[in-house]
Amino acid sequence: MKPRGSLHPISQFLRETIRVFESLGFEVYESPEVDTEWNNFDALNVAADHPARDEQDTFWLTDGRVLRTHTSNGQVRAAKERKPAIKIVIPGRCFRNEATDAKHETTFYQLEGLYIDRDVKVGHLFWTLSNFLQKMYGSETEVKFAPGFFPFVEPGFEVSAKYHGKWLELLGAGMVHPKVIKNMGIDSEKYSGFAFGMGIDRLVMLKYGILDIRQFYSSDLRFLKQF
Amino acid sequence: MKVLKSWLKDFIDWDLTDDELVSKLTLTGTEVAGVALTVDRDVVVVEIKKIKKHPNADKLQIAKVFDGKEVLEIVCGAPNIAVGQKVSLAKIGATVGGKEIKEVEIRGINSFGMLCSEFELGLGDDHSGIKILDQNAPLGIALADYLKADSVFNLEITPNRGDCLSHIGIARELAAILGKSLRRPPLDLKMSLKRIAESLAVEIENTNDCPRYYARMLANVKIAPSPKWLQDRLLACGATPINNIVDVTNYIMLDLGQPLHAFDADKIAGKRIVVRRAKNREKITTLDGEKRQLSSENLVIADEKHPLAIAGIMGGFDSQITPETKNIIIEAAEFNPRVIRRASKLLNLTTEASYRFERGIDSGGIQYAIDKAGKLMKETAGGELYSGIVKAGEVALHLYDDEIEYKKINNLIGLNLKDQEIDHILKSLGFLIEDGHFIVPSWRHDIECWQDIAEEIGRIYGYEKIKQIPLPKSKEPNKSFYYFKEYLKDILVDLGFTEVYNYSFLSASDLSILADKEKDLLEVKNPIQPENKYLRNSLVPGILKSIAKNSSFDDILIFEIGNVFTRSREKTNLAIAVSGKRVSSLSGVTGQFCARIGMAPAVSALPTGQAGDRQAKIKIQRFESADLKTIKIRKPFVEIAEIDLEHLAKDSKYLSALPVRQAGARHGKTSDLGLKISKKEITYRPISKFPSVTRDLAFIVGQNISVDKVAVEIYKISDLVNRVEVFDEFASDKFGKGKKNIAFHIFLQAQDRTLKDSEVNGIIKEIISAIEKKYKAKLRK
Repeated sequence: MKPRGSLHPISQFLRETIRVFESLGFEVYESPEVDTEWNNFDALNVAADHPARDEQDTFWLTDGRVLRTHTSNGQVRAAKERKPAIKIVIPGRCFRNEATDAKHETTFYQLEGLYIDRDVKVGHLFWTLSNFLQKMYGSETEVKFAPGFFPFVEPGFEVSAKYHGKWLELLGAGMVHPKVIKNMGIDSEKYSGFAFGMGIDRLVMLKYGILDIRQFYSSDLRFLKQF
Repeated sequence: MKVLKSWLKDFIDWDLTDDELVSKLTLTGTEVAGVALTVDRDVVVVEIKKIKKHPNADKLQIAKVFDGKEVLEIVCGAPNIAVGQKVSLAKIGATVGGKEIKEVEIRGINSFGMLCSEFELGLGDDHSGIKILDQNAPLGIALADYLKADSVFNLEITPNRGDCLSHIGIARELAAILGKSLRRPPLDLKMSLKRIAESLAVEIENTNDCPRYYARMLANVKIAPSPKWLQDRLLACGATPINNIVDVTNYIMLDLGQPLHAFDADKIAGKRIVVRRAKNREKITTLDGEKRQLSSENLVIADEKHPLAIAGIMGGFDSQITPETKNIIIEAAEFNPRVIRRASKLLNLTTEASYRFERGIDSGGIQYAIDKAGKLMKETAGGELYSGIVKAGEVALHLYDDEIEYKKINNLIGLNLKDQEIDHILKSLGFLIEDGHFIVPSWRHDIECWQDIAEEIGRIYGYEKIKQIPLPKSKEPNKSFYYFKEYLKDILVDLGFTEVYNYSFLSASDLSILADKEKDLLEVKNPIQPENKYLRNSLVPGILKSIAKNSSFDDILIFEIGNVFTRSREKTNLAIAVSGKRVSSLSGVTGQFCARIGMAPAVSALPTGQAGDRQAKIKIQRFESADLKTIKIRKPFVEIAEIDLEHLAKDSKYLSALPVRQAGARHGKTSDLGLKISKKEITYRPISKFPSVTRDLAFIVGQNISVDKVAVEIYKISDLVNRVEVFDEFASDKFGKGKKNIAFHIFLQAQDRTLKDSEVNGIIKEIISAIEKKYKAKLRK
């Protein structure tokens, strides 16, 4: 008798998202979970003396490095290893230094996207994310873009989709900030680009109606074997 | 931050519903977390139809009221009610004065709600009786609608928009969104002939720390509670009223975004204020009664001798406004956001003031704020406002200015706006525009480059009008290490393993179960929870914990792919583990696994691989039951193999063979590293907190019957079937020709209660009869 195996629901969902971006020509890039303060914050225009730093509760290591708070830490790394056009998605585990409960976890997954090329416009970003959301949630899915603030993009957007009749903020996105493009070693007068990021855990919770985020890291087989 | 509709209307008028307003704010970048009415919507207009005496209480009456649909009996103690009056009824479930109305019994009579006074509704001071409404008030309508009650908008302001942390700030946004202009009436200040300059001097040590410091003097005030309208506005926005002077400082902060401070002027030694860095180990007791030690990172407001306040963060205890205060100094200043942020972090003290200074205040609005405060304080506390303001610091404002990049802006956003249209939007936001040149308004510290201007244009023009542009086609992306990992996962799932995700952390006590203790563990400097002290250098401790947690499973086959850390290296490992009664040794699995990736495992227990195969070095750790008991695993054995995946990727043919496979994929064949997506329909069942009941059932069925299908049937019987685990499948003619024995652990569990025996027995009976019928099965007893 052969037992039935199962793939973690986050692994499954990441595959679905990555397959959509793969079809648009995005390559999967992976960045380390432990990184420098520069790659995780400063290079992304999140200076230590700016209140935007407070949005993240960070795990600092005794050697001065950090546990990445987002997979955006791969943006500058990837750009340094490549020449534009750069078209990548960065999946992976991220960390937040906080007490845990059903809605809060120290550990979560993110998928970040980055596209840098000549003459990238807001319209490209809107098309890419609409396309993505419609492939994930059905071709009729309504998508809405509202202004949002993330220090590494300008302009920035909160992207919502109508999901089971309710508007839900699903992604953060924006045009890569000229300071970040400069930190990548790329001429920000010649190149522009967009970036986006989404929290995978929450999307998986929505998909199945999971109420406790800690289930993902519980290794509870009663939970995992359902997927 | 909370803003009040009526307060916004001090600055601007509009005729949109609250919902329309929320949608406009959201679409232009001000997130609205919620809208609440100052009067609960479950307070409705009713008519008193009949009044009778309460049989058991002299001072109470029973009113029969009609809301247009039904008649309700309400017990009421107010003397002023009469038949025919229109009054307001708080229905059951309504919240009035912070309390929820419930159905109550008052001296033997049930009351289905409460008739409300003006005071209870938060509409005024009168609590002598029930508020009597106009005879024309329509029955049943929400009082909030009838009185056009105030709305409180709860806004989430992003860290770049410090200018929105006030009513005028939000009114400015509305002005730009709605194309209206802002009201900011000139202040008519009544000042005395005495000049403040003769009573106070101000000196700033370094204008980089404090670009501007203004002070006004108000003499002979009378400290008392603020008027009700002022208290109501503060309360609605979440601030606590204290006295007329302090309340005005808070009011102006919420009104104009300028934090203010009021000092007792008679506590300032030497009639001189100095803005300076604190001396090392200088001490101050702050308003909250805390004694704090300062350093040169702190900026203080000091007199000749001592610090009076921690600049921009909190005032000092000794110079605060007390009931005896006669003369006051009003401070309105601008501090360097970075200095305030640093000091606030060091002191671990964040206040409404520091929050605003960190985000930048309106450098050009300080005088208006101190004037408005002076006027309001004089109105509420009386006294004599000295003429003049003592001003120290810089006169000129340093505002970012540049040429408007019309072309670049249009290009980036994807618009085709005329220069005048762009000028118009910027002007509506308070920019000064002249001949294609702009100067940012004094309250906007977030505009630093043309892309920032582009965002302003985009959000006010409306992103919904922007055309989407498909991405240019690009070549098929390279397949990286990620695909290799996912490919390995598919092999393991196929071999019957479940993927687990464990935390990347180890606690100090986890170190004791680490077989391979390393000195160069990475350590977290600031863990909130003790579990997060170290970063894992192996997947083994997590895997052992996973096995311990799943004691209800007879057999456990799990794996994890995750990063592990030492001080010098981060790498990706795979751990595969088996445990249980009937699982076979891991060496068999690793053999199959290696064969699938074209390698021969170099596991000692196994025959060597085919000639030419590369070898994977896989070490299997075996834990015997004696070791396991100490870590609370009651299983005969556990075997774990941990493999360095970067080595495996290099050693195996896989990554080197990738280009060939991709070429194949392009010709229509599926690549082995294509991501497999499960098509399985999943209905998730939450894990219940209530105990589960386990029953074992064994059936004799035909050998062609799939156990998985039988399991699915069992699930279908009841929602209370939480888990069906196959624990035996054995074919033998001793069960009859062509028959086999199949056996299940069946777990029953409810989300909301502990199951009763009778309930469980009923379901088990149903399962037996359903399976026997559908599969011509026979229960084994």
